[in-house]
Amino acid sequence: MDWIDRYAYSNRLRFIHPGQKAGLALLAIILCLALNRPAVGVLTTGWMLMLGVIWARVPLRVLGAAVLVEGFLLAWAVVGVAVSVQPGSGGWPLSFAITSQSCATAFNLLTRALGCTSAMAFLAFTTPVVDLLDLGRMLGMPPLLLDLALLIYRFTFALLESLEHMVTAQQVRLGYADFRHGMNSAALVASRLFIETYQRTRRLQVALEGRGYAGDLRVLPGEYRRSWSVWLLAAALASSLLAAWGWV
Amino acid sequence: MLRKVVGLRAFWLAGALLLIGSRVAWAGASSAPQAMHIMEGFLPPFWAALWFAVAIPFWVLGFARIRRLVAAKPEIRLLLGLAGAFTFVLSALKIPSVTGSSSHPTGTGLGAILFGPLEMAILGTIALLFQALLLAHGGLTTLGANAVSMAIVGPLVAFGIWRSLQGRLPQGWVVFLAAALADLVTYVVTSIQLALAYPDAVSGFLAAFAKFGAIFAVTQIPLAISEGILTVLIFQALRSSAPDELRSLGLQGA
Repeated sequence: MDWIDRYAYSNRLRFIHPGQKAGLALLAIILCLALNRPAVGVLTTGWMLMLGVIWARVPLRVLGAAVLVEGFLLAWAVVGVAVSVQPGSGGWPLSFAITSQSCATAFNLLTRALGCTSAMAFLAFTTPVVDLLDLGRMLGMPPLLLDLALLIYRFTFALLESLEHMVTAQQVRLGYADFRHGMNSAALVASRLFIETYQRTRRLQVALEGRGYAGDLRVLPGEYRRSWSVWLLAAALASSLLAAWGWV
Repeated sequence: MLRKVVGLRAFWLAGALLLIGSRVAWAGASSAPQAMHIMEGFLPPFWAALWFAVAIPFWVLGFARIRRLVAAKPEIRLLLGLAGAFTFVLSALKIPSVTGSSSHPTGTGLGAILFGPLEMAILGTIALLFQALLLAHGGLTTLGANAVSMAIVGPLVAFGIWRSLQGRLPQGWVVFLAAALADLVTYVVTSIQLALAYPDAVSGFLAAFAKFGAIFAVTQIPLAISEGILTVLIFQALRSSAPDELRSLGLQGA
């Protein structure tokens, strides 16, 4: 789960204001949804992969794999749009039909969703979650909600590490050899993880109270720089997408 | 006639490629969740907005409840945060599936029983947001739709079963039904959401619902059964090894 997170902290756009990066990704998503043409979707995918690889220096292999996995899932779902079902005739209970129109809808959907997905991947690979929570604070979201999100984010990795250790320990003892043992091992690990969660909560509570915890988790806001090239890129992105929309 | 046969062959070939492709894709992505989310950009703007509108009242209720709990007991803030992390991490656990392969639990049923359904509406939505940001799975514009199916309806159903059948059936069965039906109902709601947005060109909403339902049944029905069994076992283990913790969560009948 930490592979995207690692690039989010180490890419070249790490210290650019999160609002600018989120704005760029949202612009791409909104244009993709609003213009709704295959050419726009394909172009957005290209744009976002290019920005991620050339501008943010995320390896193409990693960014591409993330988009590809979603793409396969997407292809699954799109089959349902491409194939049309109706009560059949001549002894068959159902008949399936693929018309050129339904194929066009499905293709449009596939490209549009792929474009939006790569915009999301661009945001995920360039912006750490803490920066986005910072952005939420600037936008005036309730502090309690942001505290909860921060706690979930921080402890996800701690708990994940415990989980991995426990699962490895079970695996070397053949804990997942067959279905029955696998189920028992998984249940055991989940219940131990629950206890671990509970104990961590208590330890965190004691540690925070020892430092004068009064109900708010205060962290220093990050320092970001605003980049002029974001505006230029946003303008280029929007105009090229509009051009693709008008041209095809 | 020949064209029909060729068309059919092409159809099967495409299907087989898809199956193999998604298997490979899954194997390649480390700890990818198999929970079924609607991807970013899949829903047209109208439906994306509509599902946000459906989700918002539950978010408001859930947040009001969390705020009340925190006002009464400030330390519950930490517990809720870690509970959210727990249910999120649970989805990285690999469980054997009844079909022989392996899958990942969603944890919504267990979360609703342990921590309450309205709390799960908030915690589950945060988890969905993190899945989009940490696993590139799911999205922002579809967050409303995904939250309705996974963080709102699923936990509500699980909690409803847990509360209403408690004492009428053996506890193992109640837990199994709560967890398995939470998964099933999530899958049904997602199929409805997809079918409403993309009804069949010829035979309308119902046929589209059947199509999407059939496509996802391959992974989702075995998952529901596996997760049901797993949750029963987790519950047994918790009752024997963590009775104090369960009691302090205010869990009745545990």
